Amino acid sequence: VTTVRITVDGVMYDVPADTNLLDALDALGVLMREVDIPYYCWHPKLSVDASCRMCQVEVAGEPKLQIACSTPVREGMEVSTRSERVTSARQGVMELLLVNHPLDCPICDQAGECDLQDFSWRYGASRSRSKEPRRALEKRVELGPSIVLDRERCILCRRCVRFCREITGTGELAVVGRADRSVIDLQPGSQLCNDYSMNVADICPVGALTTREFRFAARVWNLKSVESVCGGCARGCNIHIDSDSTGVRRYRPRRNDAVNDTWMCDRGRLSHETITRPDRLTTSLVRAEDGVLVSCTVDHAIEHAAVALGQLVEAKGAGVIAGIASAHATNEDLFVFKRLMEAMGSDTLGVAVPMGEGDGLLIRAEKAANAMGAGRIGFGDVSALLDRLRGGGIAGALIMGSDLLAPSHLGSSEVLHKLDCMVVLDTHQSPLLRVADIVLPTRLLAEKDGTITNCNARVQRVRRAVVAPPGAFDEGELIHRLGVALGLEGFDGDYGVEAASVALSESLADFAGTELKGLPPGGRCLASDRDEGAA
Amino acid sequence: MQNVLQIAGYLTEHSQDDAYQTLAGYESRGGYEAARRALAQRSPEQVVAMIGDAGLRGRGGGGFSAGTKWGFMPGEPTGPHYLVCNADESEPGSFKDRLLLERCPHLLLEGILIAAFAIRAEKTFLYIRGEYGRAAVVMREAIEEAHSAGHLGPDSLGTGFAHDVVLVRGAGAYICGEETGLIESLEGKKGQPRQRPPYPAERGAFGRPTTVNNVETLCHVPHIIEKGVGWFRAFGTRDSPGTTLFGVSGHVVRPGLFELPLGTPLDELIFEHAGGIAAGRKVKGVIPGGISMPVLPAGELDVAMTNEALGEKGSGLGTGGVIVMDDSTCMVRVGCVISDFFRDESCGQCTQCREGTSWINKLVHRIERGAAAREDLGILLDVCGKLEGQTICSFADAAAWPIQGLLRHFRSDFEAHLQEGCGFDGSFAL
Repeated sequence: VTTVRITVDGVMYDVPADTNLLDALDALGVLMREVDIPYYCWHPKLSVDASCRMCQVEVAGEPKLQIACSTPVREGMEVSTRSERVTSARQGVMELLLVNHPLDCPICDQAGECDLQDFSWRYGASRSRSKEPRRALEKRVELGPSIVLDRERCILCRRCVRFCREITGTGELAVVGRADRSVIDLQPGSQLCNDYSMNVADICPVGALTTREFRFAARVWNLKSVESVCGGCARGCNIHIDSDSTGVRRYRPRRNDAVNDTWMCDRGRLSHETITRPDRLTTSLVRAEDGVLVSCTVDHAIEHAAVALGQLVEAKGAGVIAGIASAHATNEDLFVFKRLMEAMGSDTLGVAVPMGEGDGLLIRAEKAANAMGAGRIGFGDVSALLDRLRGGGIAGALIMGSDLLAPSHLGSSEVLHKLDCMVVLDTHQSPLLRVADIVLPTRLLAEKDGTITNCNARVQRVRRAVVAPPGAFDEGELIHRLGVALGLEGFDGDYGVEAASVALSESLADFAGTELKGLPPGGRCLASDRDEGAA
Repeated sequence: MQNVLQIAGYLTEHSQDDAYQTLAGYESRGGYEAARRALAQRSPEQVVAMIGDAGLRGRGGGGFSAGTKWGFMPGEPTGPHYLVCNADESEPGSFKDRLLLERCPHLLLEGILIAAFAIRAEKTFLYIRGEYGRAAVVMREAIEEAHSAGHLGPDSLGTGFAHDVVLVRGAGAYICGEETGLIESLEGKKGQPRQRPPYPAERGAFGRPTTVNNVETLCHVPHIIEKGVGWFRAFGTRDSPGTTLFGVSGHVVRPGLFELPLGTPLDELIFEHAGGIAAGRKVKGVIPGGISMPVLPAGELDVAMTNEALGEKGSGLGTGGVIVMDDSTCMVRVGCVISDFFRDESCGQCTQCREGTSWINKLVHRIERGAAAREDLGILLDVCGKLEGQTICSFADAAAWPIQGLLRHFRSDFEAHLQEGCGFDGSFAL
């Protein structure tokens, strides 16, 4: 990349040539960190709008202030962001933006993460000089099933308009009217209901666009935010999980230019509703003599499973025991599972990947976060295994998740009736409970630490944001404890996800350099997918 | 329109002759000879140089050198180049292009052809404002005639130069007279100016190199080609050569269009050519170039009508639309009318303009109805300052300058309103 050297407030930067100043500073990662240039309409993933006029800076040799979002960098350019003229221009923009802005911060969802509020703190006056009544506009315009518009709060930065035109290509939104009658509106006959519609609330710099999900739900300063990854499909969009004592309040996309830019799909965003669904499994279950599943301690269930599996191995050999992995589990979980199957002496492995529709943007057809990781760890397509199961060649099974019941795989739990022993590890109730002998509740991605491997072989970190139901554990831990109970070689002591991660990176060449500690914030591709020299 | 023209010059000398609107009538006056000569005997560079040497400046309000503007266009095209003729005359106080469109259509087409040749444009979009119905009819007929005669088309005037003129109608937004706002509108979008760079010469209409010229500017071109640089420079001043069509309106005895050399003194224009103002009245203030330009008080009318001279007085030539106001005029009401216009016409993109034009408007009205305090005058000036020089296009400047001008020269009118409200009769009815 060709670079040019520019100076901003006396500090030299080598920035990519042929870019605008804001993009150049953004590429260096110094924007809004070392270099303070406030903006509203500019967004790193949208076209330049140049309308808010907040990012004005002084460029040596230019008589007028220049807007950083559309001023190309050039060799030797000297930029000042702190001069009196610049500050005064910012104050001017702030005063004009606030002339008609409602004073409803106390009830506004954006409060606490509002650019208008933040910049007002720095550049705004505490009193308005205007004696004119503030503009009264619609406070609740339903743009679609997920998004509500408050026209009084809107500062007309047009990020939402550009998002719908440039990212989703659906173009539902427009600015209607001109001058001070300008408002955001839907194109005639349209509804904002594309698969990514809720992103407009993220990019709205003020509280004009809110999601129905988060509207009046919480104050942002009461939320704890954890950086993780969405498990809705194989893309692995980077997210913030925002939660409070009542649980997850929202998922928000987190920027990763190698994965999801700054976006995520609505379905993934709303996927946290699975965490608190009433059909969550919260206690271990063992099938009693009378055929009824009875709750028990996890220790008892694991002991029971070890005994049953041990007897089966003794009677029929380990080869009749199948290990069916879930593409929702972490690399660490799956690695431990693979090791258990190896230690038992079975190579009857497979993963059932739930499939659906993908699109050309972010949504992938594989509706699980870790299909790639499962494959690379050694769980191949499950269909050969299922054929063997239908043919009666399998007597016992360790099953993660219920994806094998999908119509494209088994279609029902019927064939599983024949099994002598069936251990199910799952998060939610499913028809598997009709046939399982032992049920071990597991955690969702938002409840555990580990890594997952996305569709482009990028290993990414998931972090525990909320506490799982007390009876639910990581698959890795359950499998490890089962291995201990079975007295298998290599299984001893307590389970730790970090140790599992290290073992994974040391055992499989593809996973070298992907251990939890040391994984870069943006993740890292598997060794065989790494570009030369790239992280 | 006939009796609007008070003084004719080289642009308008035949404009009252109905036959001049037809191709035959225009050619009988030597029409299209200049284009024939330019297209057949000169290179585009020579034409650009000649217009540059002539010192022709844009007549649409900006006053930028036409030759320099053409020179910004890339050389040999790698794809289409476009010329846009800006016939969206919408500056209040301006009505000169209308006469040229309605009465001199072939003069404009000949100017278009020469300019298009100079910038290697394969097509011209003639963008006529929605309100100019008659102009559109006349121009459409003229374009058809020129096409039929082979003056336009794949082999324009038999010179091998291919050119088409496409007539496009605006829908009445003032901002579509701003060149990039016009381009957006031309492309079928909402008329909103574009941030520059890129400039139109680099990426204009439909993403292609484009030059936008005003109607009158293009009408000068055939005359310069025909009669030469020296002839053209004999009119006007060194920096502002040629004639222009001054439109005089307001409290004068003989309002209308006056084709006179640039540099004609403003007082001569008003008192000699436009017949002065009604008996018993005195001039109070004059807006010299359409309402975007700051007003001049009665004592400052001995000024040459050029950008240079008017600039020294804190105003500008603009479009040459002179609005004369006598002593029955309430300058606060003038401010109301002007700020109503800019509040209505702001495209609404830039923060300062969208919010500022509205706030200025409310402040001026507050003063007019006697509800303002003294501090509001300071706030008004301060808000005007926030609009200047900080937006995508110069609309915000145009909204601020006239108000600043009124406050600069007629502060007493504003102060009088603070105490007892408006003391004027309703001569400037709202």
